[in-house]
Amino acid sequence: MTRYECLQILAPLVTNHLIVTSQSGQRIEWGHLSEHGGNLLLGEMGAAAGVAAGLALALPNRPVVALESDGSTLLSLSILATVANLGIRNLAVFVFDNAMYSGTRISEPTATAGKTDLETVARGAGIEHSVTVRDVESFKKQAVLAMRGTTLCFIVCKVEESLIHREIHRPAVDLVENKYRFVRYLEATEGRVAPFIGRG
Amino acid sequence: MEAQLASRIVAGLGEAGIDFMSYLPESRLSQILPLMRKDPRFKLAPTASEADAVSIAVGATLGGRQAACYMESTGIYVSCYQLVVVALHLHVPVLLLVSHLGGFDDQRNSFLYSLPGRRLLPQLRALDIEHRVLENGVNLETNIKDAVRTMNALREPVALIFTGDFTI
Repeated sequence: MTRYECLQILAPLVTNHLIVTSQSGQRIEWGHLSEHGGNLLLGEMGAAAGVAAGLALALPNRPVVALESDGSTLLSLSILATVANLGIRNLAVFVFDNAMYSGTRISEPTATAGKTDLETVARGAGIEHSVTVRDVESFKKQAVLAMRGTTLCFIVCKVEESLIHREIHRPAVDLVENKYRFVRYLEATEGRVAPFIGRG
Repeated sequence: MEAQLASRIVAGLGEAGIDFMSYLPESRLSQILPLMRKDPRFKLAPTASEADAVSIAVGATLGGRQAACYMESTGIYVSCYQLVVVALHLHVPVLLLVSHLGGFDDQRNSFLYSLPGRRLLPQLRALDIEHRVLENGVNLETNIKDAVRTMNALREPVALIFTGDFTI
């Protein structure tokens, strides 16, 4: 199972979801598969789950999805305890765990290549629906459940390393431009203007 | 901090439009928390780390809230990465409410706090985060409103640093 295969399954399930991506490979693949207005493309590790949690708290009737990786999750483990205790129900975190830092170009192993099990870490942090999937069929089943946006979900997707994102054209939209598209999408669909918009 | 100052901070935040606050509690300004919990104008998000608090505040702002993030001075170091790669990179305003634990005017300063306290303001300058140091309650409400207006204009985090009378 590759991350791209999982994202191909996830993309048609998106309706009014807000999708927050993590670092580059994933951002490029998701940007290639989905032009959804509710995509917030972050370009860094260790931030997607936190930003997604803030969105979920601000918009409790909106399903929010964070697309994370093993390295990114390991960088900000405290967010698991934070979201577990905030009573958030409309958040799903997908962790595409290839057990390595692919961005290093020498595929250095992450802690999940060793003794660390993120499903167990998340459950210990208090996220009850914490599961690991290892094949496409299991992913589909969990994805459909998670995309309902009614239960805090943490889904570790064990994927093989794939460098397909290096063959995909990078998005022409930069992060700030994407942010404005995202808040304009929310303005149109929620009737709520971000506090920093306008006043020109 | 006198109870009256805590009440004025909370009232000032509400008047300035703040309606969401993520935080990691600390010792100097903590009296604001029970007041804010009782006030229906605010949604509060306790966190396990100031890094979480910043990323959550950024998400809340993008979701239409006017967000603040409350922490002690060492929290700026902990959340520095999130401030740079999310809030500053994406140009998202967040009001940072920071107690200057270990600062020159910290009335409870000790060898435990003085080193990190001394480096807070240089750190904010290095991050190019606009900030104002408040030593007492003079013009408190105006300073909060000014900070919120400034952060929305800049589309960046702005910090209010509380010291002096706020640290008693």
